Amino acid sequence: MAAVPALWLGAVFVVPLVLTVAVSFLGSSFAGIDDRLTLDNYRQAASGFYLAVFGRTLLFAAMGSALCVALAYPVALFIAGLPERWRLRALVPVLIPYFASFLIRVMALGMVMSRGGLAEAVLNALHLHRGALDVLNSPAAVFIGMVYVYLPIAVVPILVVLERVPPALTEASRDLGAGPLRSFLTVTLPLSRPGIATAVLLTAVPMMGEMILPDLLGGGRGLLMGKALSSQYLEAQNYPLGSAMAVLVLAAVGGIVALLARATRGFDGGRP
Amino acid sequence: MKRGPATGALGLIYALTVLFLLLPLAVGVAYAFNTGMMGKQVTRFTGLTLAWFPAAWNDLSLRRAVWASLVSASWVAVLSLAVGAMLGHAMVRHPSVTVRRVLSGLSYTLLIVPESVLGVSLLLFYSETGVPLGMATLVMGITPVEIAVVALIVRARLLTLDPAIEAAAADLGAGPLRVLWLIVLPQLAPALAAAGVMAWTFAFDNVVIASFLATPQVSTLAVYLYGSLHYGPSPAVFAAAAAVFGVTLVALCLCLVLLARARSLGKAARAL
Repeated sequence: MAAVPALWLGAVFVVPLVLTVAVSFLGSSFAGIDDRLTLDNYRQAASGFYLAVFGRTLLFAAMGSALCVALAYPVALFIAGLPERWRLRALVPVLIPYFASFLIRVMALGMVMSRGGLAEAVLNALHLHRGALDVLNSPAAVFIGMVYVYLPIAVVPILVVLERVPPALTEASRDLGAGPLRSFLTVTLPLSRPGIATAVLLTAVPMMGEMILPDLLGGGRGLLMGKALSSQYLEAQNYPLGSAMAVLVLAAVGGIVALLARATRGFDGGRP
Repeated sequence: MKRGPATGALGLIYALTVLFLLLPLAVGVAYAFNTGMMGKQVTRFTGLTLAWFPAAWNDLSLRRAVWASLVSASWVAVLSLAVGAMLGHAMVRHPSVTVRRVLSGLSYTLLIVPESVLGVSLLLFYSETGVPLGMATLVMGITPVEIAVVALIVRARLLTLDPAIEAAAADLGAGPLRVLWLIVLPQLAPALAAAGVMAWTFAFDNVVIASFLATPQVSTLAVYLYGSLHYGPSPAVFAAAAAVFGVTLVALCLCLVLLARARSLGKAARAL
Protein backbone atom coordinates (compact mmCIF):
# COMPACT_ATOMS: atom_id res chain seq x y z
CA MET A 1 0.00 0.00 0.00
CA ALA A 2 3.00 2.26 0.33
CA ALA A 3 3.56 1.91 -3.42
CA VAL A 4 0.48 3.93 -4.47
CA PRO A 5 1.44 7.19 -2.73
CA ALA A 6 5.09 6.72 -3.69
CA LEU A 7 4.23 6.32 -7.38
CA TRP A 8 1.64 9.11 -7.39
CA LEU A 9 3.93 11.60 -5.67
CA GLY A 10 6.81 10.48 -7.83
CA ALA A 11 4.85 11.42 -10.93
CA VAL A 12 3.29 14.71 -9.80
CA PHE A 13 5.97 15.95 -7.42
CA VAL A 14 9.44 14.36 -7.48
CA VAL A 15 9.94 14.03 -11.25
CA PRO A 16 8.82 17.62 -12.07
CA LEU A 17 11.12 19.02 -9.39
CA VAL A 18 14.07 16.94 -10.61
CA LEU A 19 13.33 18.15 -14.14
CA THR A 20 13.43 21.76 -12.93
CA VAL A 21 16.81 21.21 -11.28
CA ALA A 22 18.10 19.61 -14.51
CA VAL A 23 16.80 22.42 -16.74
CA SER A 24 18.43 25.03 -14.50
CA PHE A 25 21.82 23.80 -15.81
CA LEU A 26 20.84 24.05 -19.48
CA GLY A 27 21.38 26.93 -21.89
CA SER A 28 18.56 29.01 -23.29
CA SER A 29 18.07 30.49 -26.71
CA PHE A 30 15.23 32.11 -28.60
CA ALA A 31 14.10 28.64 -29.63
CA GLY A 32 13.68 27.68 -25.97
CA ILE A 33 15.91 25.27 -24.09
CA ASP A 34 19.08 23.97 -25.76
CA ASP A 35 21.11 21.05 -24.50
CA ARG A 36 24.47 22.56 -23.60
CA LEU A 37 25.40 22.41 -19.92
CA THR A 38 26.07 25.77 -18.34
CA LEU A 39 26.11 27.70 -15.06
CA ASP A 40 25.05 30.92 -16.82
CA ASN A 41 21.53 30.81 -15.36
CA TYR A 42 22.92 30.79 -11.83
CA ARG A 43 25.33 33.58 -12.69
CA GLN A 44 22.42 35.64 -13.95
CA ALA A 45 20.08 34.70 -11.09
CA ALA A 46 22.71 35.57 -8.47
CA SER A 47 23.71 38.98 -9.76
CA GLY A 48 22.35 42.48 -10.24
CA PHE A 49 18.60 42.87 -10.22
CA TYR A 50 17.76 39.25 -9.41
CA LEU A 51 20.24 39.15 -6.52
CA ALA A 52 18.51 42.20 -5.06
CA VAL A 53 15.13 40.43 -5.40
CA PHE A 54 16.57 37.32 -3.74
CA GLY A 55 17.99 39.44 -0.91
CA ARG A 56 14.68 41.21 -0.40
CA THR A 57 12.83 37.88 -0.38
CA LEU A 58 15.18 36.49 2.29
CA LEU A 59 14.88 39.68 4.34
CA PHE A 60 11.07 39.81 4.07
CA ALA A 61 10.77 36.10 4.92
CA ALA A 62 13.09 36.43 7.93
CA MET A 63 11.48 39.60 9.28
CA GLY A 64 7.94 38.51 8.42
CA SER A 65 8.34 35.12 10.01
CA ALA A 66 9.94 36.67 13.12
CA LEU A 67 7.08 39.16 13.41
CA CYS A 68 4.50 36.38 12.95
CA VAL A 69 6.09 34.33 15.73
CA ALA A 70 6.44 37.39 17.98
CA LEU A 71 2.71 38.08 17.59
CA ALA A 72 1.62 34.44 17.62
CA TYR A 73 3.52 33.51 20.78
CA PRO A 74 1.59 35.71 23.23
CA VAL A 75 -1.65 34.74 21.48
CA ALA A 76 -0.84 31.03 21.90
CA LEU A 77 0.29 31.63 25.49
CA PHE A 78 -3.02 33.30 26.26
CA ILE A 79 -5.05 30.47 24.70
CA ALA A 80 -2.95 27.80 26.45
CA GLY A 81 -3.64 29.53 29.79
CA LEU A 82 -7.42 29.27 29.33
CA PRO A 83 -9.47 26.41 30.81
CA GLU A 84 -9.50 23.49 28.39
CA ARG A 85 -13.07 23.85 27.16
CA TRP A 86 -12.41 27.48 26.16
CA ARG A 87 -9.25 26.82 24.17
CA LEU A 88 -10.84 25.64 20.93
CA ARG A 89 -13.36 28.48 21.05
CA ALA A 90 -10.54 30.98 21.48
CA LEU A 91 -8.59 29.41 18.62
CA VAL A 92 -11.45 29.52 16.10
CA PRO A 93 -11.44 33.33 15.54
CA VAL A 94 -7.69 33.13 14.87
CA LEU A 95 -8.16 30.29 12.36
CA ILE A 96 -11.22 31.61 10.50
CA PRO A 97 -9.11 33.87 8.26
CA TYR A 98 -6.88 30.92 7.40
CA PHE A 99 -9.85 29.03 6.04
CA ALA A 100 -11.25 32.06 4.26
CA SER A 101 -10.07 32.40 0.69
CA PHE A 102 -6.56 33.76 0.32
CA LEU A 103 -7.65 36.18 -2.40
CA ILE A 104 -10.63 37.51 -0.44
CA ARG A 105 -8.31 38.30 2.44
CA VAL A 106 -5.76 40.03 0.22
CA MET A 107 -8.52 41.90 -1.62
CA ALA A 108 -10.01 43.05 1.70
CA LEU A 109 -6.63 44.05 3.10
CA GLY A 110 -6.01 46.06 -0.07
CA MET A 111 -9.28 47.93 0.45
CA VAL A 112 -8.37 48.60 4.11
CA MET A 113 -4.94 49.95 3.18
CA SER A 114 -6.04 51.98 0.18
CA ARG A 115 -6.41 55.77 0.15
CA GLY A 116 -9.53 56.75 2.07
CA GLY A 117 -9.77 53.24 3.50
CA LEU A 118 -10.28 52.01 7.04
CA ALA A 119 -6.59 52.05 8.07
CA GLU A 120 -6.33 55.71 7.10
CA ALA A 121 -9.46 56.59 9.09
CA VAL A 122 -8.32 54.67 12.20
CA LEU A 123 -4.77 56.04 12.14
CA ASN A 124 -6.06 59.58 11.72
CA ALA A 125 -8.57 59.15 14.53
CA LEU A 126 -5.81 57.89 16.84
CA HIS A 127 -3.58 60.82 15.78
CA LEU A 128 -0.90 58.36 14.67
CA HIS A 129 -0.94 59.67 11.14
CA ARG A 130 -2.20 62.77 9.44
CA GLY A 131 -3.78 63.00 6.02
CA ALA A 132 -3.93 60.40 3.28
CA LEU A 133 -2.24 57.05 3.81
CA ASP A 134 0.02 56.00 0.94
CA VAL A 135 0.96 52.48 1.90
CA LEU A 136 -0.75 50.43 -0.83
CA ASN A 137 1.51 49.66 -3.81
CA SER A 138 4.71 49.77 -1.79
CA PRO A 139 7.08 47.09 -0.45
CA ALA A 140 5.71 47.88 3.04
CA ALA A 141 2.23 46.80 1.91
CA VAL A 142 3.67 43.50 0.66
CA PHE A 143 5.29 42.96 4.04
CA ILE A 144 2.10 43.78 5.99
CA GLY A 145 0.23 41.42 3.68
CA MET A 146 2.64 38.56 4.39
CA VAL A 147 2.29 38.96 8.15
CA TYR A 148 -1.49 39.24 7.86
CA VAL A 149 -1.84 36.18 5.64
CA TYR A 150 0.51 33.81 7.48
CA LEU A 151 -0.04 34.85 11.12
CA PRO A 152 -2.83 32.31 11.85
CA ILE A 153 -0.71 29.24 11.00
CA ALA A 154 2.05 30.42 13.35
CA VAL A 155 -0.30 30.19 16.35
CA VAL A 156 -1.19 26.49 16.05
CA PRO A 157 2.23 24.79 16.45
CA ILE A 158 3.19 27.08 19.36
CA LEU A 159 -0.14 26.37 21.07
CA VAL A 160 0.26 22.60 20.59
CA VAL A 161 3.68 22.66 22.27
CA LEU A 162 2.62 25.00 25.08
CA GLU A 163 -0.31 22.71 25.91
CA ARG A 164 2.17 19.87 26.37
CA VAL A 165 4.45 21.73 28.83
CA PRO A 166 3.60 20.01 32.14
CA PRO A 167 2.14 22.57 34.61
CA ALA A 168 4.11 20.79 37.34
CA LEU A 169 7.35 22.12 35.85
CA THR A 170 6.32 25.77 35.93
CA GLU A 171 4.81 25.29 39.39
CA ALA A 172 8.06 23.72 40.60
CA SER A 173 10.07 26.67 39.30
CA ARG A 174 7.69 29.04 41.10
CA ASP A 175 7.99 27.03 44.32
CA LEU A 176 11.76 27.27 44.03
CA GLY A 177 11.45 31.04 44.03
CA ALA A 178 11.42 32.09 40.40
CA GLY A 179 9.18 35.03 39.55
CA PRO A 180 6.63 34.64 36.73
CA LEU A 181 8.98 36.22 34.17
CA ARG A 182 11.95 34.09 35.19
CA SER A 183 9.83 30.95 35.26
CA PHE A 184 8.64 31.77 31.73
CA LEU A 185 12.11 32.54 30.40
CA THR A 186 13.88 29.54 31.93
CA VAL A 187 11.17 26.85 31.75
CA THR A 188 8.31 27.57 29.35
CA LEU A 189 10.19 29.35 26.57
CA PRO A 190 13.02 26.78 26.14
CA LEU A 191 10.49 23.94 26.22
CA SER A 192 8.43 25.55 23.46
CA ARG A 193 11.38 25.74 21.05
CA PRO A 194 10.04 23.00 18.69
CA GLY A 195 6.75 24.89 18.38
CA ILE A 196 8.58 28.10 17.52
CA ALA A 197 10.69 26.25 14.96
CA THR A 198 7.59 24.76 13.30
CA ALA A 199 5.93 28.18 13.28
CA VAL A 200 9.00 29.71 11.62
CA LEU A 201 8.97 26.90 9.04
CA LEU A 202 5.25 27.22 8.30
CA THR A 203 5.51 30.97 7.75
CA ALA A 204 8.99 31.42 6.24
CA VAL A 205 8.58 28.74 3.54
CA PRO A 206 5.47 30.18 1.86
CA MET A 207 6.97 33.66 2.26
CA MET A 208 10.07 32.54 0.33
CA GLY A 209 7.85 31.46 -2.57
CA GLU A 210 5.22 34.19 -2.32
CA MET A 211 4.12 35.39 -5.76
CA ILE A 212 0.60 36.81 -5.31
CA LEU A 213 1.16 39.55 -2.73
CA PRO A 214 3.81 41.58 -4.62
CA ASP A 215 1.37 41.55 -7.51
CA LEU A 216 -1.77 42.63 -5.67
CA LEU A 217 -0.47 44.79 -2.81
CA GLY A 218 2.93 45.91 -4.11
CA GLY A 219 1.64 47.17 -7.46
CA GLY A 220 4.83 46.00 -9.18
CA ARG A 221 7.08 47.29 -6.37
CA GLY A 222 8.46 44.99 -3.70
CA LEU A 223 9.09 42.17 -6.20
CA LEU A 224 9.82 38.79 -4.57
CA MET A 225 11.42 35.59 -5.88
CA GLY A 226 8.14 33.70 -6.36
CA LYS A 227 6.79 36.39 -8.67
CA ALA A 228 10.15 36.86 -10.41
CA LEU A 229 10.59 33.18 -11.19
CA SER A 230 7.00 32.68 -12.29
CA SER A 231 7.26 35.59 -14.72
CA GLN A 232 10.33 33.90 -16.27
CA TYR A 233 7.92 31.07 -17.09
CA LEU A 234 4.73 32.93 -17.91
CA GLU A 235 6.07 36.07 -19.59
CA ALA A 236 9.77 35.93 -20.54
CA GLN A 237 9.60 32.21 -21.47
CA ASN A 238 13.16 31.75 -20.16
CA TYR A 239 12.64 28.38 -18.49
CA PRO A 240 16.30 27.74 -17.60
CA LEU A 241 16.67 31.07 -15.78
CA GLY A 242 13.33 30.59 -14.01
CA SER A 243 14.44 27.09 -12.99
CA ALA A 244 17.73 28.39 -11.58
CA MET A 245 15.77 30.91 -9.51
CA ALA A 246 13.46 28.12 -8.32
CA VAL A 247 16.50 26.06 -7.28
CA LEU A 248 17.88 29.06 -5.36
CA VAL A 249 14.55 29.32 -3.49
CA LEU A 250 14.69 25.58 -2.73
CA ALA A 251 18.26 25.96 -1.48
CA ALA A 252 17.21 28.83 0.80
CA VAL A 253 14.31 26.74 2.14
CA GLY A 254 16.73 23.85 2.71
CA GLY A 255 18.98 26.23 4.64
CA ILE A 256 16.05 27.34 6.82
CA VAL A 257 15.12 23.70 7.55
CA ALA A 258 18.74 22.86 8.46
CA LEU A 259 18.99 25.88 10.79
CA LEU A 260 15.73 24.97 12.51
CA ALA A 261 16.77 21.33 12.85
CA ARG A 262 19.94 22.50 14.62
CA ALA A 263 17.97 24.85 16.87
CA THR A 264 15.69 22.05 18.05
CA ARG A 265 18.32 19.33 18.39
CA GLY A 266 17.79 17.26 21.51
CA PHE A 267 14.00 17.21 21.28
CA ASP A 268 12.48 13.82 20.61
CA GLY A 269 10.34 13.09 17.60
CA GLY A 270 12.79 14.85 15.30
CA ARG A 271 10.01 16.83 13.68
CA PRO A 272 11.09 20.29 12.56
CA MET B 1 -4.10 29.55 37.09
CA LYS B 2 -3.69 33.06 38.46
CA ARG B 3 -1.36 35.34 36.57
CA GLY B 4 -2.87 38.77 37.15
CA PRO B 5 -1.40 41.57 35.04
CA ALA B 6 0.49 39.22 32.69
CA THR B 7 -2.75 37.44 31.73
CA GLY B 8 -4.39 40.81 31.19
CA ALA B 9 -1.63 41.91 28.81
CA LEU B 10 -1.80 38.61 26.93
CA GLY B 11 -5.56 38.93 26.67
CA LEU B 12 -5.16 42.40 25.20
CA ILE B 13 -2.64 41.14 22.61
CA TYR B 14 -5.02 38.28 21.79
CA ALA B 15 -7.95 40.65 21.33
CA LEU B 16 -5.96 43.06 19.15
CA THR B 17 -4.60 40.21 17.01
CA VAL B 18 -8.06 38.77 16.46
CA LEU B 19 -9.25 42.26 15.54
CA PHE B 20 -6.34 42.67 13.10
CA LEU B 21 -7.17 39.30 11.53
CA LEU B 22 -10.95 39.59 11.35
CA LEU B 23 -11.55 43.28 10.67
CA PRO B 24 -10.29 43.26 7.06
CA LEU B 25 -12.45 40.19 6.40
CA ALA B 26 -15.51 41.97 7.74
CA VAL B 27 -14.64 44.98 5.61
CA GLY B 28 -14.25 42.76 2.55
CA VAL B 29 -17.70 41.27 3.13
CA ALA B 30 -19.16 44.75 3.69
CA TYR B 31 -17.81 45.89 0.31
CA ALA B 32 -19.95 43.19 -1.33
CA PHE B 33 -22.93 45.41 -0.42
CA ASN B 34 -21.36 48.60 -1.77
CA THR B 35 -22.99 50.18 -4.82
CA GLY B 36 -19.63 51.19 -6.27
CA MET B 37 -19.16 53.57 -9.14
CA MET B 38 -19.85 52.80 -12.79
CA GLY B 39 -19.74 49.07 -12.11
CA LYS B 40 -16.37 49.20 -10.32
CA GLN B 41 -15.56 48.73 -6.66
CA VAL B 42 -14.43 51.91 -4.88
CA THR B 43 -12.99 52.56 -1.41
CA ARG B 44 -15.77 55.02 -0.51
CA PHE B 45 -19.18 53.61 0.37
CA THR B 46 -21.56 54.89 -2.27
CA GLY B 47 -24.67 53.16 -0.99
CA LEU B 48 -26.00 49.82 0.21
CA THR B 49 -27.28 47.32 -2.31
CA LEU B 50 -27.97 43.61 -2.62
CA ALA B 51 -27.84 43.80 -6.41
CA TRP B 52 -24.33 42.38 -6.74
CA PHE B 53 -25.31 38.94 -5.51
CA PRO B 54 -27.76 38.22 -8.35
CA ALA B 55 -25.33 40.01 -10.71
CA ALA B 56 -22.57 37.59 -9.67
CA TRP B 57 -24.95 34.66 -10.04
CA ASN B 58 -25.93 35.76 -13.55
CA ASP B 59 -22.34 36.35 -14.67
CA LEU B 60 -21.72 33.38 -16.94
CA SER B 61 -17.91 33.39 -16.77
CA LEU B 62 -18.06 33.69 -12.97
CA ARG B 63 -20.47 30.77 -12.81
CA ARG B 64 -18.30 28.65 -15.09
CA ALA B 65 -15.30 29.42 -12.87
CA VAL B 66 -17.22 28.40 -9.74
CA TRP B 67 -18.26 25.17 -11.42
CA ALA B 68 -14.66 24.39 -12.45
CA SER B 69 -13.57 25.07 -8.86
CA LEU B 70 -16.25 22.76 -7.47
CA VAL B 71 -15.35 19.95 -9.86
CA SER B 72 -11.57 20.24 -9.43
CA ALA B 73 -11.74 20.62 -5.64
CA SER B 74 -13.96 17.54 -5.38
CA TRP B 75 -11.58 15.44 -7.49
CA VAL B 76 -8.61 16.71 -5.51
CA ALA B 77 -10.37 15.91 -2.21
CA VAL B 78 -11.25 12.35 -3.27
CA LEU B 79 -7.81 11.59 -4.73
CA SER B 80 -5.77 13.14 -1.95
CA LEU B 81 -7.98 11.48 0.65
CA ALA B 82 -7.30 8.05 -0.87
CA VAL B 83 -3.58 8.57 -1.53
CA GLY B 84 -3.01 10.59 1.67
CA ALA B 85 -4.71 7.98 3.86
CA MET B 86 -2.50 5.26 2.37
CA LEU B 87 0.54 7.46 2.91
CA GLY B 88 -0.39 8.29 6.51
CA HIS B 89 -1.09 4.62 7.26
CA ALA B 90 2.20 3.48 5.74
CA MET B 91 4.10 6.18 7.69
CA VAL B 92 2.91 4.61 10.97
CA ARG B 93 2.23 0.94 10.28
CA HIS B 94 4.57 -0.12 7.45
CA PRO B 95 6.77 -3.01 8.71
CA SER B 96 10.00 -1.59 7.23
CA VAL B 97 11.68 1.26 9.13
CA THR B 98 13.36 2.51 5.96
CA VAL B 99 10.05 2.77 4.10
CA ARG B 100 8.48 4.61 7.04
CA ARG B 101 11.40 7.03 7.14
CA VAL B 102 11.43 7.69 3.39
CA LEU B 103 7.67 8.29 3.32
CA SER B 104 7.82 10.64 6.33
CA GLY B 105 10.64 12.56 4.67
CA LEU B 106 8.59 12.77 1.48
CA SER B 107 5.51 14.10 3.32
CA TYR B 108 7.51 16.82 5.04
CA THR B 109 9.18 17.71 1.74
CA LEU B 110 5.70 18.18 0.25
CA LEU B 111 5.05 20.86 2.84
CA ILE B 112 8.33 22.75 2.47
CA VAL B 113 8.46 23.15 -1.30
CA PRO B 114 6.93 26.58 -2.02
CA GLU B 115 3.88 26.37 -4.26
CA SER B 116 5.35 28.73 -6.84
CA VAL B 117 8.33 26.40 -7.27
CA LEU B 118 6.07 23.36 -7.64
CA GLY B 119 3.84 25.33 -10.02
CA VAL B 120 6.65 26.19 -12.45
CA SER B 121 8.00 22.62 -12.18
CA LEU B 122 4.63 21.17 -13.14
CA LEU B 123 4.25 23.62 -16.01
CA LEU B 124 7.73 22.68 -17.25
CA PHE B 125 7.00 18.96 -16.80
CA TYR B 126 3.73 19.07 -18.72
CA SER B 127 5.17 21.22 -21.50
CA GLU B 128 8.26 18.99 -21.90
CA THR B 129 6.24 15.78 -21.91
CA GLY B 130 3.63 17.28 -24.24
CA VAL B 131 0.70 16.51 -21.95
CA PRO B 132 -2.11 18.93 -22.85
CA LEU B 133 -3.30 21.05 -19.91
CA GLY B 134 -6.85 20.49 -18.75
CA MET B 135 -8.93 19.45 -15.78
CA ALA B 136 -6.86 16.29 -15.17
CA THR B 137 -3.51 18.09 -15.06
CA LEU B 138 -4.98 20.80 -12.83
CA VAL B 139 -6.34 18.23 -10.38
CA MET B 140 -3.11 16.22 -10.33
CA GLY B 141 -1.07 19.37 -9.78
CA ILE B 142 -3.03 20.43 -6.72
CA THR B 143 -2.96 16.99 -5.05
CA PRO B 144 0.63 16.90 -3.61
CA VAL B 145 0.07 19.56 -0.92
CA GLU B 146 -3.37 18.21 0.03
CA ILE B 147 -1.97 14.66 0.22
CA ALA B 148 0.52 15.91 2.81
CA VAL B 149 -2.30 17.54 4.82
CA VAL B 150 -4.39 14.35 4.78
CA ALA B 151 -1.38 12.11 5.53
CA LEU B 152 -0.34 14.14 8.56
CA ILE B 153 -3.88 14.17 10.01
CA VAL B 154 -4.26 10.40 9.45
CA ARG B 155 -0.80 9.79 10.90
CA ALA B 156 -1.60 11.83 14.04
CA ARG B 157 -4.84 9.87 14.55
CA LEU B 158 -3.22 6.47 13.90
CA LEU B 159 -0.55 7.17 16.50
CA THR B 160 -3.29 7.38 19.15
CA LEU B 161 -4.85 4.03 18.11
CA ASP B 162 -3.91 0.88 19.99
CA PRO B 163 -2.15 -1.57 17.61
CA ALA B 164 -3.09 -4.40 20.02
CA ILE B 165 -6.67 -4.23 18.75
CA GLU B 166 -5.47 -4.82 15.19
CA ALA B 167 -3.17 -7.61 16.39
CA ALA B 168 -6.09 -9.21 18.24
CA ALA B 169 -8.23 -9.11 15.08
CA ALA B 170 -5.39 -10.69 13.11
CA ASP B 171 -5.01 -13.41 15.78
CA LEU B 172 -8.69 -14.16 15.48
CA GLY B 173 -8.15 -14.87 11.80
CA ALA B 174 -8.85 -11.59 10.00
CA GLY B 175 -6.71 -10.94 6.92
CA PRO B 176 -4.88 -7.59 6.57
CA LEU B 177 -7.63 -6.11 4.35
CA ARG B 178 -10.35 -7.14 6.80
CA VAL B 179 -8.41 -5.62 9.70
CA LEU B 180 -8.12 -2.42 7.72
CA TRP B 181 -11.81 -2.39 6.79
CA LEU B 182 -13.31 -3.52 10.11
CA ILE B 183 -10.86 -2.16 12.70
CA VAL B 184 -8.74 0.70 11.35
CA LEU B 185 -11.12 2.48 8.97
CA PRO B 186 -14.02 2.92 11.43
CA GLN B 187 -11.67 4.42 14.01
CA LEU B 188 -10.17 6.74 11.39
CA ALA B 189 -13.51 7.81 9.89
CA PRO B 190 -13.97 11.15 11.70
CA ALA B 191 -10.33 12.14 11.08
CA LEU B 192 -10.70 11.18 7.42
CA ALA B 193 -13.87 13.25 7.09
CA ALA B 194 -12.17 16.28 8.64
CA ALA B 195 -9.11 15.80 6.42
CA GLY B 196 -11.37 15.54 3.37
CA VAL B 197 -13.17 18.79 4.20
CA MET B 198 -9.82 20.51 4.73
CA ALA B 199 -8.34 19.20 1.48
CA TRP B 200 -11.48 20.29 -0.36
CA THR B 201 -11.37 23.79 1.14
CA PHE B 202 -7.67 24.30 0.38
CA ALA B 203 -8.04 22.90 -3.14
CA PHE B 204 -11.02 25.17 -3.82
CA ASP B 205 -8.92 28.12 -2.70
CA ASN B 206 -5.68 27.23 -4.48
CA VAL B 207 -4.43 30.20 -6.49
CA VAL B 208 -0.77 29.58 -7.17
CA ILE B 209 -0.76 26.11 -8.75
CA ALA B 210 -4.10 26.76 -10.44
CA SER B 211 -2.88 29.97 -12.07
CA PHE B 212 0.02 28.05 -13.66
CA LEU B 213 -2.10 25.14 -14.85
CA ALA B 214 -5.35 26.91 -15.75
CA THR B 215 -6.32 27.23 -19.40
CA PRO B 216 -8.93 29.49 -20.99
CA GLN B 217 -11.25 26.45 -21.01
CA VAL B 218 -10.54 25.24 -17.48
CA SER B 219 -10.17 28.16 -15.12
CA THR B 220 -11.15 28.15 -11.45
CA LEU B 221 -12.81 30.85 -9.36
CA ALA B 222 -9.51 31.64 -7.63
CA VAL B 223 -7.81 32.23 -10.99
CA TYR B 224 -10.77 34.34 -12.14
CA LEU B 225 -10.64 36.46 -8.96
CA TYR B 226 -6.85 36.84 -9.27
CA GLY B 227 -7.21 38.02 -12.84
CA SER B 228 -10.05 40.41 -12.08
CA LEU B 229 -8.10 42.01 -9.22
CA HIS B 230 -5.54 43.31 -11.69
CA TYR B 231 -8.02 45.71 -13.24
CA GLY B 232 -10.42 47.28 -10.70
CA PRO B 233 -12.91 44.49 -9.99
CA SER B 234 -16.67 44.92 -9.99
CA PRO B 235 -18.41 44.62 -6.62
CA ALA B 236 -19.94 41.42 -8.04
CA VAL B 237 -16.52 39.81 -7.52
CA PHE B 238 -16.71 40.79 -3.85
CA ALA B 239 -20.23 39.38 -3.67
CA ALA B 240 -19.10 36.05 -5.15
CA ALA B 241 -16.13 35.99 -2.79
CA ALA B 242 -18.36 36.77 0.22
CA ALA B 243 -20.76 33.99 -0.76
CA VAL B 244 -17.88 31.52 -1.08
CA PHE B 245 -16.59 32.67 2.31
CA GLY B 246 -20.00 31.86 3.78
CA VAL B 247 -19.80 28.32 2.36
CA THR B 248 -16.25 27.96 3.69
CA LEU B 249 -17.38 28.98 7.17
CA VAL B 250 -20.02 26.25 7.10
CA ALA B 251 -17.35 23.75 5.98
CA LEU B 252 -15.07 24.90 8.80
CA CYS B 253 -17.82 24.40 11.38
CA LEU B 254 -18.44 20.92 9.95
CA CYS B 255 -14.73 20.20 10.23
CA LEU B 256 -14.65 21.32 13.88
CA VAL B 257 -17.67 19.18 14.78
CA LEU B 258 -16.02 16.17 13.10
CA LEU B 259 -12.72 16.73 14.88
CA ALA B 260 -14.53 17.15 18.21
CA ARG B 261 -16.34 13.86 17.54
CA ALA B 262 -13.03 12.23 16.63
CA ARG B 263 -11.63 13.38 19.95
CA SER B 264 -14.57 12.12 22.01
CA LEU B 265 -14.43 8.82 20.09
CA GLY B 266 -10.76 8.61 20.99
CA LYS B 267 -11.63 9.18 24.64
CA ALA B 268 -14.31 6.50 24.47
CA ALA B 269 -11.85 4.07 22.87
CA ARG B 270 -9.29 4.73 25.60
CA ALA B 271 -11.93 4.25 28.29
CA LEU B 272 -12.72 0.77 26.93
